[in-house]
Amino acid sequence: MSPEPTPLPPPPDLYGRGRDDRFMRFLDRATRLYLPVSTRRNRYGRRGPLPLTPARLQVVVAARTVEAEDVVSLELRPAAPGGGPLPGWQPGAHLDVDLPSGLRRQYSLNGDPADRGSYRIAVRRIDGGAGGSLEVHQDLAVGSGLTVSHPRNAFPFAADPAVLLIAGGIGITPLLPMAREAARRGLDWRLVHTGRSRASMPFAAELAALDPDGSRVVFRPDDEHGGPADAAELLGHAPAPGAAVYVCGPAPMLDAVRAAFDESPARALHFERFSAAPVKDGRPFTLRLRRSGVTLAVPADRSALDVLRDHDPATPYSCRQGFCGVCRRSVTAGTVEHRDRRLSDQERAEGQMLVCVSRAPEGECLELDG
Amino acid sequence: MPHSPAGDGEHHDLVLQPRNVQFDWNALPMHWIPGEPMATHVINVLHLLLPEGERWFVRTFKEALPLIRDERLREEVLGFVGQEAIHAEAHQGVLDHLLAKGLDPRPYTRQAEYLFQRVLGEHPELTGTAARENLIERVAVIAAIEHFTAFLGDWVLNADGLDRAGVDPVMLDLLRWHGAEEVEHRSVAFDLLRHLDPGYARRIRAMAITGPVLVQLWVRGVRFLMANDPTLRPGAARPSWRAYTAASGRGLLPHLGRAARSAARYLRRDYHPTQEGSTRQAVAYLGSSPAARAAAH
Repeated sequence: MSPEPTPLPPPPDLYGRGRDDRFMRFLDRATRLYLPVSTRRNRYGRRGPLPLTPARLQVVVAARTVEAEDVVSLELRPAAPGGGPLPGWQPGAHLDVDLPSGLRRQYSLNGDPADRGSYRIAVRRIDGGAGGSLEVHQDLAVGSGLTVSHPRNAFPFAADPAVLLIAGGIGITPLLPMAREAARRGLDWRLVHTGRSRASMPFAAELAALDPDGSRVVFRPDDEHGGPADAAELLGHAPAPGAAVYVCGPAPMLDAVRAAFDESPARALHFERFSAAPVKDGRPFTLRLRRSGVTLAVPADRSALDVLRDHDPATPYSCRQGFCGVCRRSVTAGTVEHRDRRLSDQERAEGQMLVCVSRAPEGECLELDG
Repeated sequence: MPHSPAGDGEHHDLVLQPRNVQFDWNALPMHWIPGEPMATHVINVLHLLLPEGERWFVRTFKEALPLIRDERLREEVLGFVGQEAIHAEAHQGVLDHLLAKGLDPRPYTRQAEYLFQRVLGEHPELTGTAARENLIERVAVIAAIEHFTAFLGDWVLNADGLDRAGVDPVMLDLLRWHGAEEVEHRSVAFDLLRHLDPGYARRIRAMAITGPVLVQLWVRGVRFLMANDPTLRPGAARPSWRAYTAASGRGLLPHLGRAARSAARYLRRDYHPTQEGSTRQAVAYLGSSPAARAAAH
């Protein structure tokens, strides 16, 4: 039998009668009787170790199609021949794709959710980017194998009665399946596709096929209109007041639409939310885990959290932007460079740190409790 | 994780992410459902219980992370804890406002701290298997509570009565933003429980305890708030079941019969949270919520 703990007195009564609260005392006593009963059987352990279920799929590139200038689409099929249907998805979903170089990139699914035999993604080549798109364009051929995640959706489509879809360039990829669903459901929908030029805008034929009488899809290449559209013009395509707007495109377009949104008659605004921003002005430093003595190097371009997760996949975190506070750790030695928006001065003085964004000066060693 | 089949196009692969919302309570009147002190305070009990309760969810689920062997479920649990952490702080803001307005919530919140930190907290006297089973028991209690939060979330998203009554718009947005996220993540605690203990017994006994205790905590909370509301004459405004039923008839509070039937559905062997509420509706609200829109990055 485990030793009896020192009981903490229940809090006072709610009405200042100067005695312990009876209901709280009852809950505490009942819990003490309940604990041994509810924890006697080893229900978790008797099943043996649970199998590890990875969230990854093995696929091969089954087709590669040039969809526009600098845009290719890849059709992905299960790597194992005759491997059953792929996991289902809804418009707005993406895959995390592990490229052969080790880079991980997110690409929206732009095929037909009803097709459970294959996924389709499309990638615009960005010269001078971080390299993911170049690798897709140069190194992936029909027959290449890839590891991808299950479809996950950070841009869900609510199939509102009146819908405006605003796509900038390759931002058409998540919106194409939304347009397809809107057409299938008979919603009142419009889609504006902007881009540098018609030749740079993929999937024009598929969009046109969804709009037989040409009343729903607007193609707006900058070179035919003397420059990019402003946000008011884009939002002006809404089919009805109170429409829900879904927007995907380059950051300046997104910011402009967000800024103009409150002045528009639209009611709801949806866009894909990305959780982790790349590390800015990071310097390399090290972490030491006090209990285990393990030392981990944090490179300039990765967060302390990334490194801790590699070491222990059960490391807690959530927002990865320094506001939710779930990843907080206690620092027992070293100087922290705080970059969060959550901790109070007092919490910082006590040695707390949000490892998702906060760092240390170059070469510093931070000792974490635990 | 095998997810139960959902309805036509119902989302089941959402990336759960916390939204960094802010609310300004400066203009919040004491009775933010105009002329309805009791209905206001019935909903205010949420603010009394949730900050401590949701911090306890976060602690418990963080503790459970090393037991999770399914990577997708782990991702969902991580999204869930972030949302719950933000919920706790959002409701804490209302408590601070109540205190500033002369309704001191601390006698009640001290009890909430005792309940969630002490009674339902980690019990250091338990070790090894017993400690692990106690952790799973707490997950089962959270799964039962999450059934009610999803029920309330679904209710508040559909509560036209609140719109008709001219409820304070900031409070309505808090309740609906929170409700929408509860609907959005309603399967996570249940899926975690099934992953750690697929049995029926633990789910049922946790609900059998959680349901009545929650009702009692609620009744005590409403009495406490009404007795301490500085704008009500002492003894003049006593809460009653009759007044509750009348308010729920006007669409200001959830219908008790529906709440009871919802609790009963949790006892069914083939229950899954995806059968309750609509993710599509939650997503639609989050696109229109002023707080959620301002918070999005």
